[in-house]
Order: sequence, then structure tokens, then C-alpha cells
Amino acid sequence: MKNVAVPFQPTISTPPVSVPKYEEVAQSHTSSVSILIAGAAGKGLKSLENVLSDAFKQSGYFVFSTKEYMSRVRGGSNTTLLRISDGPVNAPCWHVDICIALDADALTHVQERLRDDTIVLADDEVTHEHISITNVPMLKVAKEIGNVNYMNSYASGILFGLFGLDKNILTQSISTFFHEKSEQENKESMLKGLEHTKSLINLQLPKLPKPLPHLTESMHLMDGSSASGFGFLAGGCNMITSYPMSPSTGVLNFMASMSKEFTLLVEQSEDEIASLNMVLGGWYSGARAMTSTSGGGFALMSEAISLAGVSEIPVVIYLAQRPGPATGLPTRTEQGDLNLAIHSGHGYFGRIILAPGDLQECIDYGYLAFELADRYQTPVIYLSDQYLADSIGMLKTVDFSHYEQRRYIQPTTHSYNRYTLTDTGISPRGVPSLGEGIVVSSSHEHDERGQSTESYQIREKMVEKRKQKIALTVLEAYKPKVMGEGNIALISWGSTKCIVSEVIKMIDDPRLFHVHFMWVYPLNPDHLDILKATQTNIIIENNVTGDFESILKNHGIAIAHKILQSNGFNFFTDQLKVELKKIIKDIV
Amino acid sequence: MKHPLDRTDTNIAWCPGCGNFGILRLLKEVLTELELDSQDTVIVSGIGQASKTPYYINTHMFGGLHGRALPVATSIKFSNPLLNVIAEGGDGDMYGEGGNHFMHTIRRNPNIVHIVHNNMVYGLTKGQASPTSQKGFTTAVQTEGVKSEPFNPISVALALKAGFVSRVNIGNYSHAKTVLKEAFLHKGYALVDIFQPCVVFNKINTYKWFNDCTYELESNHEKSNLISAMSKALEEAPIPIGIFYQHEHQTFEKSIRKNTENALYSLTHDLKKMQTLFERY
Repeated sequence: MKNVAVPFQPTISTPPVSVPKYEEVAQSHTSSVSILIAGAAGKGLKSLENVLSDAFKQSGYFVFSTKEYMSRVRGGSNTTLLRISDGPVNAPCWHVDICIALDADALTHVQERLRDDTIVLADDEVTHEHISITNVPMLKVAKEIGNVNYMNSYASGILFGLFGLDKNILTQSISTFFHEKSEQENKESMLKGLEHTKSLINLQLPKLPKPLPHLTESMHLMDGSSASGFGFLAGGCNMITSYPMSPSTGVLNFMASMSKEFTLLVEQSEDEIASLNMVLGGWYSGARAMTSTSGGGFALMSEAISLAGVSEIPVVIYLAQRPGPATGLPTRTEQGDLNLAIHSGHGYFGRIILAPGDLQECIDYGYLAFELADRYQTPVIYLSDQYLADSIGMLKTVDFSHYEQRRYIQPTTHSYNRYTLTDTGISPRGVPSLGEGIVVSSSHEHDERGQSTESYQIREKMVEKRKQKIALTVLEAYKPKVMGEGNIALISWGSTKCIVSEVIKMIDDPRLFHVHFMWVYPLNPDHLDILKATQTNIIIENNVTGDFESILKNHGIAIAHKILQSNGFNFFTDQLKVELKKIIKDIV
Repeated sequence: MKHPLDRTDTNIAWCPGCGNFGILRLLKEVLTELELDSQDTVIVSGIGQASKTPYYINTHMFGGLHGRALPVATSIKFSNPLLNVIAEGGDGDMYGEGGNHFMHTIRRNPNIVHIVHNNMVYGLTKGQASPTSQKGFTTAVQTEGVKSEPFNPISVALALKAGFVSRVNIGNYSHAKTVLKEAFLHKGYALVDIFQPCVVFNKINTYKWFNDCTYELESNHEKSNLISAMSKALEEAPIPIGIFYQHEHQTFEKSIRKNTENALYSLTHDLKKMQTLFERY
């Protein structure tokens, strides 16, 4: 077979890649309006979210949206929260300014999120003994146009009309998202909603912030799944083998859509065991492969992670967390799988666990996941969760030419040994047919050639080799991001980043600052000095036991307070503010 | 007996007289006679006595997990379609632990050769029943004899319309060689189920038993006829050996890679295109 060139062959001695340094986006809006839309599954909430996010962005606003939904395809009650502001906003609130309920059950579902002054719009047929409702004929109009599902576009018209925004922008957004499926009907329904707002002039609406189209125009609107997907593509991913599982399927769908554009195998495997074994076969023969899953599927991959450990094959696993145990709450969110990610797989071997906290980090760490896996020939687990994967936010343009394309594989010579002992513990990684050598990959304890051995002397050397690799990854660990300064540190990891940032801004207490971890395992003890020097450490985690807190404690960090939650929701800024204020008022 | 494909300095861990020795020799001879370069050939195996085979033959190899050779082999073939890929293991590995992958690999149809050493017993774990053990076979675990129906890999593969379905008996060496060569020449998934005796743990299905209880498919057997292949596959005493069915259809890697066969390690994505796609958001 003719040998073909490998794009760029760095070695472990080549300096690590750097990702572009970008300015940390402060949660710097001055005012915002929150809108909660509630309705049954199948009633077009997702379309409405897409249309409104786009239309508000085109109107010059910063937009953030997130959803909570039941594990059913039709019926039930789901919500989409939209926040519109004059600056970056990337976190959800519990109480809302405006609520649109598409049916009576939806209103009951959201009633705890309404304040006395929340404006509630609902269909004519919806009544409630305690909630003051502004009724609009959305069901009637939608039926007249031909389908109850046009209610969602009616709601979009109501909102644009109430705020007096440019209807042409909304029309364009509807065209974008409904082209080829009832575009005209949706436009007609929207216009009816818009028209109806003329009769609602007495409503005391919250004031919209000032539009800043010169800032929002160049920004990009996407969900966490898409941002992660762009990161994986930037990392050179050319194979994804997965079994669908909420909330990880967004990445699988994204990669499938990209398979039309790039050389990229997207294979739905028969089970998660096959998924990760395919990933191993891919990397062994030179692909950059990944799998996507959630906790239950990840549990099935444990043995294959162990194989990656002993055979020193890189793998990348996108693990989008949802609450367990077992089936748990399939469509909801939690940061509950950190310990599973750290401890999965039998035997002693290293791994790296990354947990991005915003869209930019989703891209950067998607890229880095592949880079690090290849560089250290180790599993990299990328932790997301339903909240981060499904939330839509805005980010600045990313310059993909900055993501250096490396392939840490070496042409082999006749005397090639896959597991050559080196000073660093990293052996040059060959792949079949690139060079003269024979590439032996083994699940057994093996000698340098890869041949099975039971020699205790070789076993000791190979254990030491794998241990050395762990030490190397500790040295490469990225520092936590430290935002602000003070003597009370609020510690976050992964998806809670922007929620904590916003709460710090809301409380506006000079003692508070933020320490955010996106490289969560293994930690470099030197990076924790800042927490050792801080008077009071408070950790915020969306799980029941404080998994990251335990890790920090094992490193000798004193955690004075922890705010934990495990009800299936993400944190909400207004609720978290109250919790934090209670804690810090007693700190002198 | 030395062979150029022997891996040097190895200590073969099979019992004297094991049927695996014959299969090892068969594979080396077929690779040599078909002039398949060892540097372009990968053998993927799982766990078991049969799965030790690639440790004794000097090609690329991937020693994987119990039952998981097929998904690994499938993705290796996709990553580099120019490689000759073999998935090899025993009846417990491929039909028991890896049964799910057996079905779905056939559905995908990657161009690989799937060699299954079938001795109707577990060797590595010392003598328990395998999925292909015959009813009544007694072991330390199946003390009153096997109660389950034996797994018939040939009829299962045919039900899934596998492109190449064959069974041989290592005791009938020249016939086995002819069939294995055909399997390598077939474009697509090719199953070669090889009867071989376990001389330590299976005192029933011996060399003599396999020779006495099998017969070569008639020369007029229609390999392209699925229905007659299935009726042959269901024959139990004696058991036919040979190529039951052969039909080429588009392979997994071809359906995705289209006409490009470049190894994925030689490719990077077009970052400008990525930029354009990002800008659409």
C-alpha cells in the first residue's frame, strides 16, 4: 500500500497547543426582560423559541433561551424561557416578567414562576381563580387558519406587537424557520396576533432595554450542542459512533448534519458498548473518533474505557449528564456524573475530564478534547448536561484558522514497538500501513512490542509508564478562571459558570469573586493556591453530594459553604441570589 | 515448522493437539498464497483461546475485549479502506458475548473476513458450555447437560442476508483453505465458521466426530439461492460444510466513503468551510 502523508506530526516534546485567548464576557447587561412560554409537547415551542431568539437578535437584543421539558413527545407541559437584554446574558431566572400559556395545564405548570406583576397572556378559554390573565383568541385564530399548531406564531405576533417591534424582522424569522412547512399560515397567524395587540394598549409592559444592533449583528446564536459540535469538528473529529440518548443526541444530530460537508462517519451503533469499541478501532487506525452519550450509556462503556487505558488508545467521549439513578429524569439536568466519569473502568490508568461552562468554552474544549486525547494517548471525557446542551445563547465570531491541526502519529520503522518505554511515559504512536512497522495493540498487560506478558518486572515498568502519563497530564491541566477579586470565592465547574457570574453581579458585594473550573480532573494542586489563600470558599454544584467539593477537600481546600440542588432543574439566578445572600450576610 | 508470518519470540499458549494450531497455519498460508501484505493486514480479536491467534502471526493486530472484535474491525475498515481486516475469535466470544455485534455487523456489511473458531465449548474458562454446545453436553456448570437450543450461526447469518456465509472443518484442511480464500476474495462481510476440536474439554466433538458428522456441500449447490442455502443450514446430521451463500452488495465503507479510500489519518477538515458554516448561525 502506498504511504500517504500525515498533515502534521508533532511529538510529546512539541509545546502544547494554545487556544485563542478571548476576553471573558462579563454578564454586563443593565436591564433585561424575561418571557416564559408554556405549552404541551408537540405544540411548536421549539420552533417558537428559534423564531423569537432569531427575531429578537435581529432586532438588536442580546438573547438567551433555555427550556425544560417532559420525557414525552406529545402532551404534558413544557416551557421555554427567553431573556432579552442590552448586554451578554447567559443564565436563566425563575420568576418572569411575561408569561404566555398556550393551555390551562401549562398555566398551572408555571404558576410558581409568576410574580404579582407578571403579565400573563393565555387563550380565551383559559381561566384561573388566583392568576390575573389577559385572554387572547389564539386557539380560535389558529383553528380558523387551519391548525391549532399555528398558536405558536400567534404568540410571537403578540410579543412583537406588544413591544412595538418591527414586524418585518419577525416575518423574516418565520420565513427562515418555517420555509417549506406552512410558512404562509404561520405568517398569517403571527399577523393576527400582532393585530390583536392594538386592543391591549392598557397592559403595563416591562420596558424593553435599548437595542444595540451594532453589537448583536456580528454575534452568533446557537445552542450548546452545536457549539460543542463545532469544537469537535475543529478538533478534527471524522468519526462519531453513538447510540442516541437524551440529552446527548443534539451533538449526534449536529455531526450528522455536518457529515454532508466533511469526511465524517456518523454511525448509529447497536449499543454503547459498540460505540466506544468503534471509537477505539477508529483511533487505532488513525481516525479522530468520538462517541456521545449520557450516564446510562456511559456506564455501558466502562470496560472499553479500561481498554483505552491499557492499550493507550486516545478516545473522546461527550457525556451529557442527566439526573439518575438509572432512567432518572431523562430530559432534565444535573451535574451528577463527575464521579462516574472519574472512576469508570477497572484498573489504574489516567484520563482527562473537561467541563465547559459557556458556548465559547464548548468550542475550545471540544477542540482541546481531541488534541489532549491524541497528545497523551488517553481517554478524554467532555462533560456537558441537558441545561448547557439545550440552552441557546450568543457568542462572538470564532476564527477557526486558530485551531492548529495536529496528528500525533508517527511513521513506523521495521523495528517499531508500540509501547516503547520513554522518559515521559508516552510512546510514539504508529498506525497500520503508515511505515514499515507492525502495530500491536493489546488489552493484556504487554511488553514494549505489545506481546502479552506475565513478567512481574515488565508489569512494574508498564504500571509506572501509565502512572507517568498521569503526572504529565496534571502538569498540563488548565488553571481555573479567576474572575474578580475578593475574600469570598464562589466556586463553579462546568455549566453553572454564567449563572454564578450573573449572581455575583446582581449581589454586587465587593467581597465576592468567581473561580471557575473547566478542567475538572486531574487537578494540579498548584492551581488551588488561590482557594487556600481565600478566607471563605463557597461551592455551587447541581448535584446531591457536592462531588467537586469532595475533590477539592481531598486537595486540602476548605469549603465553608455549599449550595447544592438535585431537583432536575438548573440553577436560577434569582433563587441562587437569595441562597447566597443568606450565607454571606453572616460572614464577617 | 517455520513460516515467514510467524511472530518471533512467542510462546504459544495452546494445549498440544489443539485445533487452533491448524487454523493458525491455515490463516498464514492463505494470507501468503493470496499475497496479502502483512503490513496492510490487521487482525482484530477479543478474548478466548481463539482470540490469541493474532499474537502468533506477524500482522498488525488489535487485541480487544471479550466479544467486541467486530465493531473494532468495522471502524478500522472505515478509517482505512485499503487495509485487509480480519475479525477472529471463538464461538463464545463471537456468538455469546458479542452476539449483538454479530447481527449488526452483518447488517452493515463492511468488507472484512470474520473467522470464528467453533469448538462447541469454552476453553479459556475451563470447559463450560458455549452457545454452540449441543443439547445434553455436561460440564461442571451444566451438570445435567445443556438445556438450551444450540446457536446456529449459519442460519442466523442467512436470515440477515450476509453476503458470504460459510462453514468449514479444520480436519478437512484443503477444503477449509479453498473456502477461506474465497472469503478473502469476497467484497463484503464474510463469515467463516470453523469446526475445530478442543482436545481437553470437549470429549464428544473430536476430530473424528467432526469428520464423521460433516459432508461437503454438493458441487451443484446454488450459492446464490438464499432459500436453498437456508435449508442446507438447517440440516443437523450430518452437517454440511462449504459456502452456503454468496451475494455481493455495497459495502459499509463504500456507501459512506464513496469513491475515496484515503486513510483518515491523512485528512484534515477544511477550516474555511467550517468558518462559513459557523457564520450561518
